Amino acid sequence: MAKRVVIVGGGSGGTILANDLDPHTYEVTVVSASASHMFQPALLYVAMRGAPAAIARDERGLLPSRVRFIQDAVAEVDLTAQTVMTAGGERLPYDEVVLATGILTDPGQIPGLAEVNAAIGDYHSTAAQAQKLWRQLDAFRGGTIALGQASPVCKCPPSPLEGVLLAEELIRRRGLRDKTRIVYFTPYPRAYPAKPMDEIVAPILAARGIEVMPFFDLDRIDPATRTLYSIEGDQIACDLPIVVPPFIGADIAYRPAEVLDASRLVVTDRQSLRVKGVEHAFAIGDGTNLPTSKAGVGAHLEAKTVAAALAGRPAVFEGRTNCPFDMGHGFGTFVVGSYTAPVVKSPPTRWKHFMKMAFARLYWLELRGWLDPVIDVYFRMTAPKPAP
Amino acid sequence: MDTTTAPRTLVDSRGSSCPGPITDLALAYRRSKVGDVIELWATDPGVRPDVQAWAAKTGNEIVSMEDRDGKIVVVLRIAKR
Repeated sequence: MAKRVVIVGGGSGGTILANDLDPHTYEVTVVSASASHMFQPALLYVAMRGAPAAIARDERGLLPSRVRFIQDAVAEVDLTAQTVMTAGGERLPYDEVVLATGILTDPGQIPGLAEVNAAIGDYHSTAAQAQKLWRQLDAFRGGTIALGQASPVCKCPPSPLEGVLLAEELIRRRGLRDKTRIVYFTPYPRAYPAKPMDEIVAPILAARGIEVMPFFDLDRIDPATRTLYSIEGDQIACDLPIVVPPFIGADIAYRPAEVLDASRLVVTDRQSLRVKGVEHAFAIGDGTNLPTSKAGVGAHLEAKTVAAALAGRPAVFEGRTNCPFDMGHGFGTFVVGSYTAPVVKSPPTRWKHFMKMAFARLYWLELRGWLDPVIDVYFRMTAPKPAP
Repeated sequence: MDTTTAPRTLVDSRGSSCPGPITDLALAYRRSKVGDVIELWATDPGVRPDVQAWAAKTGNEIVSMEDRDGKIVVVLRIAKR
């Protein structure tokens, strides 16, 4: 009898895994609250460039016909009884479960942020929120813009910097640069947390006149005055606060509850990707507590690792990152590292920017596994060197 | 408060280099209160200057910082929130 594999979540990781599993060996079910699959990195361009918000496809169409797709939220995963319960009441017993649940923005964690977020929008949640932010930027005629991340847990580490660099480019192109102060705030000691990349980023920010306020861990915002206050005791008064909200894991009940950490992230073994403390359960993508970037590349490689583990092949996730980083004005780079190879300096070029934008067009093919030979070669060619 | 008896939060940041151990420390700080002790484990050598800068900025105290069993162990006491 085919093994029953239930994949909780239909984002990048869940969809890539469902496409990879052998139909003769597995009976695969994907459960996702949404019937629509969004290409999340495009939200940056909806918010900062007014790009079209048509960045989603029907999830069913991205899965092989043999995969069962259930459009429903998951209410509970019982890792002891090996069952998944949907919000609609369907009980799904499994032989193996893969938690690919992602993370959600949670502006309510910071006093005042929910109100500011509802008014200004963001580029990490929905197309409607990104369009809202674009309308704010489009109507901006000068003053102070403060942009940064509200919490150290962040989907796509370069994305707050991408936001400030693209916003600065927009303001400059519109002839508003001399009327606009732009402040980048971050809870880290410097603009980019990994020092080698900061050596690339800091001079670019300085050259574009973007002020950096490090060690600014957002404590609260006064929506009336649009003033941001940090835990460390600093403040920024601004006209347009663009805040990357804190994130939290999906609202799913687990048994045992100890598989979640304080951010509702699934506690996951960093190499085998097995959920710690239980059997027959893996976790992939943004919803894990793995000490690596929350990004599509991670979800891709983790999905391939779990596919190999289920097939009985050697499977170790090495923590590889390859985060695309748009630096504005047509330049881009990739932040590359792994568990054993610290992030290195990677200067921006037009070619890397082209690669980032080209990949965005190929995303839907990547999900189906059709680009695997090319992607495998790319990862081998660009493998970071471990620290001596 | 004595650091040996105060509530101690272990933050295991081994293997993390991007965004890095300072991410985990900042998150633990957000959840801490005055008097708490945070023990941070890291393998990224960048943690040493980062933690020193962080403590200087936030007004918190580094109780100890040492290499132990292939990892860097930093013990911090939260003095200011």
